Amino acid sequence: MTTTSTTIGESVTTTRSALLKKFIVGAGPLVALVALVLFFAIASPTFSQPGNLSILLTQLSILLVIGVGLTFVILLGSIDLSVEGVMASSSLVFVLFATNDRNDFQFGLLAVVAGILTGSLFGLVNGVLHVRLGIPSFMVTLGTGAIGIGLATVLFGGRAPRLLDDGLRAWGVGSTAGLSNLVFIAIVVLGLGFFVQRFTRVGRYGYVIGGDEPIAKLSGINIRKYKISSFVLSGTASGIAGVMAATQLGVGDTTIGTGFLFTAITAVVLGGTLLVGGRGGVIRTLIGVAIITVLANGLILVGVDPYIQTAVQGLVIVVAVIASGWSLRRRVRVIK
Amino acid sequence: MRTPQVARRSFKRQLVTAAALVTVATMALAGCSSASEDGGGSVTANAEDVQLVEGVRSLSNSYHANWVAGGQLFADSVDKKLDVITDEADSQKQLSQIKALAGSGNVYALNVDPNTSADTEAIVRAVTDAGGYVVTQWNKPDDLNPWDIGDHWVAHVSFDGRVSGKEVSAKLFDAMAGEGGIIALQGILDNVASKQRFEGLTNALADAPGITLLDQQTANWSRSEALTVTQTLLAKHGASVKGIWAANDEMALGALEALKAAGLDGEIPIVGFDAVPQALDEIKSGTSGYVASVSTDAFWQGGAALSLAYMAASGAIKVSDLTHEQRAFYGTQIVVTGDNVDDFITPPTLDKLQADFDDPWKRSQGGIN
Repeated sequence: MTTTSTTIGESVTTTRSALLKKFIVGAGPLVALVALVLFFAIASPTFSQPGNLSILLTQLSILLVIGVGLTFVILLGSIDLSVEGVMASSSLVFVLFATNDRNDFQFGLLAVVAGILTGSLFGLVNGVLHVRLGIPSFMVTLGTGAIGIGLATVLFGGRAPRLLDDGLRAWGVGSTAGLSNLVFIAIVVLGLGFFVQRFTRVGRYGYVIGGDEPIAKLSGINIRKYKISSFVLSGTASGIAGVMAATQLGVGDTTIGTGFLFTAITAVVLGGTLLVGGRGGVIRTLIGVAIITVLANGLILVGVDPYIQTAVQGLVIVVAVIASGWSLRRRVRVIK
Repeated sequence: MRTPQVARRSFKRQLVTAAALVTVATMALAGCSSASEDGGGSVTANAEDVQLVEGVRSLSNSYHANWVAGGQLFADSVDKKLDVITDEADSQKQLSQIKALAGSGNVYALNVDPNTSADTEAIVRAVTDAGGYVVTQWNKPDDLNPWDIGDHWVAHVSFDGRVSGKEVSAKLFDAMAGEGGIIALQGILDNVASKQRFEGLTNALADAPGITLLDQQTANWSRSEALTVTQTLLAKHGASVKGIWAANDEMALGALEALKAAGLDGEIPIVGFDAVPQALDEIKSGTSGYVASVSTDAFWQGGAALSLAYMAASGAIKVSDLTHEQRAFYGTQIVVTGDNVDDFITPPTLDKLQADFDDPWKRSQGGIN
């Protein structure tokens, strides 16, 4: 016997086969991840060794933090392209306030706060401009990203200021219990992100707004407030990522975020969060980030020619996205 | 007698015909009055009117920041303003910025680092069309030379990466006592510098039977990418890695951070290229394992090449009188190690470079073959 119930945006038939189908579609990214891990574990003896696993976790930390922040914005159906600019600015603000070789500031942990708050500020600007002035998020964040790079270049002043605070450097370079400290920071951020997504209004209403904004508005939700909050979350995450990268590289640098933006967006999409919003979550992003990191790491370990690595990565990603989004291919919408 | 409608239509037709004729006439006139010509008879400007422009990838790396500083030294020496265009590794952006220079109406002297070899032809043709004068550096197609395009492409300066690649690799092998495995980090695979330096490494390896190249990957000139790649390579090859070769300092510094994270800094020698300030500090400290880098003297690149373009633009030299060797030449590279690092740590002042500004070919190592 079948029962049909309707929820916002989709109708759900609760037969067994329908549930199974939903599970497969939902679990697509996880299956892809397991398949990749198995493949590389067989193809390369080094892959499954504890040393390499530790490195894998380190390599996915910064990407995961960015991805968690981006997930909130993408759930709305918007996009945040300012990641690289925000990372650049926050890394420089952080290093210039901590003990460094350019000036005499020694604010230690307060410098970390300053770096993170730089990210939040950018996020706030993004949110306000998008919501109040109605500029598409695509354009606003592109612009603020460029401002971020520009600000970073001015602060950079020709050579990278070096972080000399050993305690803070240990965050990026040191390890605890065999795992880099960055991994623990990423876990904390992931936990906070999950908490916000599941148990706070910002997270839950984000789904509603992304799923069907007119209905959300008619329900009386203060769309503006929650949209701006999501952008602030994304900016904050980018700020944290910038600080993490600075502790890892030991410098504040304008190019510190290069390559992270599209990798992070790809990770979020790969994990199963829809670019049009309304479906997904930070746990899915974790899976997407893991897929990308495993792929990059595995291709080097297996010894794939560097000339074709990027092509292979792109191919795998295309296949994975098609596979995960197969049942949704009729829904075509534009990023808001 | 014509009806009003017919009269209107016929008037409209006359108007359109007149407009077409005017347009054609204007275009013909514009074509005739174009100032740029190939071969003899190139237009130059008075020295006061020449605009000085530097085109680099970005001010966010020390190498190009030093380049622009050198250009500024030259601009100060002739008492002119210096304009800088940065393309952020975007070829289209670089080309459109250079095309936009024509809008000012001035004759300009441009010293540019083309983003890739494929971009050089478009750039020099755009400059020729605008009547400017350009010196390119590093990247150009092998079969295209300044004399093929005309007098507005004054010269191409490059550095034989094969020579410096071989020399600096030898320093790495010395630090390894001639035995062991190395990993190599390449730059953007399409760049001339990347290819030549790696060729230099390969040549050096042929002379060093005790050294094996365990793995080579590209890190695209980027510090953070180099960190990730090095971590993975260290996991892959473990203790067999006894030395790290990187095609530039940014990547070498990223690799150094990976070593620090693995607790190996100081134990594994590293070499790079570009002699950026932080690399020089590491070489000087002697504790981190950073053995050597190569200086092309970015200050010289920014200043002397701009001086050459300026001389052509202001008519001080006649480009058609220059030999092929003067129009496509290799500059001087110096391997920087702990022994001579002090010479490079402080940026040069104008009096150190004035002689090179007066004679840009002073450091020529010969024509590019």
